[in-house]
Amino acid sequence: MSTTAAVIEKGYRQQFAKRIALLCGLAVAMLLSFFFDMVVGPSTLSTADVFKAIFSPDSIELSSRVIVWEVRMPYSLMALLVGASLSLAGCEMQTIMNNAMASPFTLGVSAAASFGAALAIVIGVSLPGVGGDWMVVVNAFVFAFGATLLLQALSSMRGAGPEGLVLFGIALVFTFNAFTGIMQYMASAEALQQFIFWSLGSLTKANWDNIPLLFALFAIILPFSLASSWQLTALRLGEDSARSFGVAVRRLRFLSLLRISLLTAGSVAFVGTIGFIGLVGPHIAKLLIGEDHRFSLPASVLSGALIMSLASLASKAIVAGAIIPVGIVTSLIGVPVFIALILNKRKR
Amino acid sequence: MIGGRWSVVSDRISDLNIQYATRNIKNMNSNSKVKVIVLLLGFFYGIQLHAQPITVTDVVGREVTIPAPAKRVILGEGRQLITLSLLVPDPVSIIAGWTGDFAKSGGLLYEDYRKRFPAIDKIPLIGSSGKETVSTEQIISLKPDLAIFGAGSHGPDAKSADVIRQLEAAGIPIVFIDFRLHPFKNTVPSIEVLGKVLGQEQKATQFIDFYHRRMNYISGVLARHPDIKKPKVYMEMIRGAVPPGSPGKGNLGEFIEFVGGNNIGTILPGEVGTLNMEYVISEQPDVYVATGIAKPSEEGLVIGQNVYTNQTQQSLSKLASRQVVSPLHAIQQGKVYAMWHLFYDSPLNIAAVEALAKWTHPELFGKLQPHGVLKEINERFLAVPLKGVYFAELKK
Repeated sequence: MSTTAAVIEKGYRQQFAKRIALLCGLAVAMLLSFFFDMVVGPSTLSTADVFKAIFSPDSIELSSRVIVWEVRMPYSLMALLVGASLSLAGCEMQTIMNNAMASPFTLGVSAAASFGAALAIVIGVSLPGVGGDWMVVVNAFVFAFGATLLLQALSSMRGAGPEGLVLFGIALVFTFNAFTGIMQYMASAEALQQFIFWSLGSLTKANWDNIPLLFALFAIILPFSLASSWQLTALRLGEDSARSFGVAVRRLRFLSLLRISLLTAGSVAFVGTIGFIGLVGPHIAKLLIGEDHRFSLPASVLSGALIMSLASLASKAIVAGAIIPVGIVTSLIGVPVFIALILNKRKR
Repeated sequence: MIGGRWSVVSDRISDLNIQYATRNIKNMNSNSKVKVIVLLLGFFYGIQLHAQPITVTDVVGREVTIPAPAKRVILGEGRQLITLSLLVPDPVSIIAGWTGDFAKSGGLLYEDYRKRFPAIDKIPLIGSSGKETVSTEQIISLKPDLAIFGAGSHGPDAKSADVIRQLEAAGIPIVFIDFRLHPFKNTVPSIEVLGKVLGQEQKATQFIDFYHRRMNYISGVLARHPDIKKPKVYMEMIRGAVPPGSPGKGNLGEFIEFVGGNNIGTILPGEVGTLNMEYVISEQPDVYVATGIAKPSEEGLVIGQNVYTNQTQQSLSKLASRQVVSPLHAIQQGKVYAMWHLFYDSPLNIAAVEALAKWTHPELFGKLQPHGVLKEINERFLAVPLKGVYFAELKK
C-alpha cells in the first residue's frame, strides 16, 4: 500500500514540477517576445541604444529617448497588460459558464463598452466632469460594468444557471450592437472613421496615463482570481460536486463575473475591442497545462500576454513604418499556435 | 419644388418675355406675325439644340450619356456642395438628395451655406455619412437626372457595385469624380465632367484655366531648379481622438511630391493610413503639416470657416508640444504648419498646393499667398465665400 501512495505522491510531484516548468517556460517566452517587441522597430536604434535609453535616458539623444519611452514601451507594455487581462477574464468565463466557447465578449460586456465609446465619439455624451479623450474610456467602462450588473440582476431574478446567463448575454450583445449601429448611422464621416478605428483595437492609444491604471486594475484583481482557483477547479467537476465541497456557487459566479467585467472594460476602454485573445489564450493555457486552475489561471495570463506581444510585434512589422491595428493581427498570430496545439493533443 | 431662387427668377423672366411677345403679336399685321413666329420657332429650336445629349467619360473611364444638362442631381458626398458652388450660382437648387456628411462635418462653413441657401434644410437625405447607410430606394424615388459619386468616398463610390447596378437598372446615370484618391491627376477631369453634365462648361473652363495657371507657375519654377533638395514632409490629419492619418501614395501626398517635397507617408499601402511614430521620428521630417476640421469648442486642430487666428494658433501649438513629436527637426526648427482638412477632398486643393509649395520651398515660393488664392476663388467662383483661417504657420 505504502508503495502505491508513494507512487501517487511521486507522480503528483512530477506533474507539479512539470507544470511549474511549463509556467516558467511560458514566462520566458513572454519575456523574450517583450524583449523583441522593445528592440524591433522601423528606426535603426540598436539593442544597446534601447537599453541605454531605458537605464540612463539622459545619456542618449532626444529622438531615441522618445522612441523608446513614448512609442515602443507604451505599446509593448500595453500589449502584455491587455493580453493578460483578457485571457484571465476568458479563463474564468469559460469555467463559470461551463462553456468552452465563452469569452469576455460572449455576454455583451464588450458590446456595451463599444456602445459607450460610440456615445462619446459620436455625440460627445459622458458623465459630468469628464472631457476630451477620457470620455471614451469612462463611457466604455461605465457601460461594460453596467451591463454586468444588469446581467447579474436578470439572471438572479430567474435564478438562472449558466444557460440563462448565456441567453441574457446574447440578448445584451444584440441590443447594444443595435444601439451602436444607430450611433454609427448618426455619426459624421470623421466620427465614423474614429469609431471604426477604435473598434478594430489599437495599441497606439497606450500612454503613460492609461498603462498604470490598467496595471493597477490587473494587479488588484489577479490575487482574488488566484485565491478562488480551487473553487473554480471544483466547479469544473460540476455544480453539484462543487457544492458538496462547500463552494457557494452563486457567490463564486457573481464575484467572478465582476472580475471579468472589470478586466474586460478596462482593456476595451483603453485599446478598443480585441476579441480573439480572451477565447484562445485560456485554451492554449489549458491545452498545455490542464484544468487545475492553480496553474491554468496564471498560464492563461502568460499565454494571453505572449500572444498579444507577438501580435504587437507583427502589427508593426507587416508594413515597416505603418501601423496595422493590432486587433486585425491578433487572430492571425493566435490561430496557428492554437491549431498546432490541438493537432498535437490529438496525436498524443 | 426644388427650384430655388435662380430658377424662379429665370421662370419669371421667360413669363415676362412671353407676355410681352403675345401682347405685341396682337398689335401686329400678319406679315410681322409670321416673322415673330419664325423668331419664336428659332428660339425654341435653339433650346432644342441646347438640349442635345451630353456624353462624358468620367474619371473611372465610364462613358455616360445624359439627354440634357442635369437639373436634379444626387450628391454621394454632401461636402461636394462646395465643388458644385464653384460652377453653379445656386447649387442647392439642383441637389435632389445628398448624404448628411457636410451637415455633420462642415462646421461653421455649413452654417454659412445654410444662411445663404435656407432651402438646404429641405434637401432630402439619401443616407448618413457612411456608404452602408445609403438607401438606393430613396435615391430612385427622388427621380434624379444624375448621380454624382466620388471614385473613393465616404458615400457610395466606384466599389459600391450594388448601388451602381440598381441605379443603372432604374435608368439613373452616374458620373464619378475624384478629388480624394488621386487628386493630382483627377481634379481637372472631374471639373470638366461636372461642367459638361451641369451645363456650366464656361465656368468650368474658367476654373480649369485658373487651376492650370497656378499649377504651371509652380512646376515652371521647379523645372528651373532641377537639382533642388527635397525636404521631407510629415503630414498629420487630425480628426478627433483617433491616431492621426497621413497621406500615402495618393491624396495630398501627390501634391507634396508635386511641390518638390518628399512625403514620408509614401510607404503606406493605401492613400491614407497610420504611420508608426517611431518611423516618423527616425525619418526626421523637415516640415510638419497638420490638417484639421475642429470647431472652436472641439478637440483637435481648430481651423476653417469663421475661426479666429488665435484659436488656430492655440490648438496648433498644443499639437506641436506633444512629447512624441518633440524630437522632430520640423518641430524644433518651428516649421509647423496647419491647413483645413477638407482640402484633401476638394478642387480647392489648389490653395493647399500653394501652401505646401510655400512651406516646403520658402526660398522659391515664399511670396505665394494661399489665402490670396482663396480670395480669388471667392471672387470669381464660389457661391459662399470662404472666410476665416484656412492656413496657418505656428508663431514662435
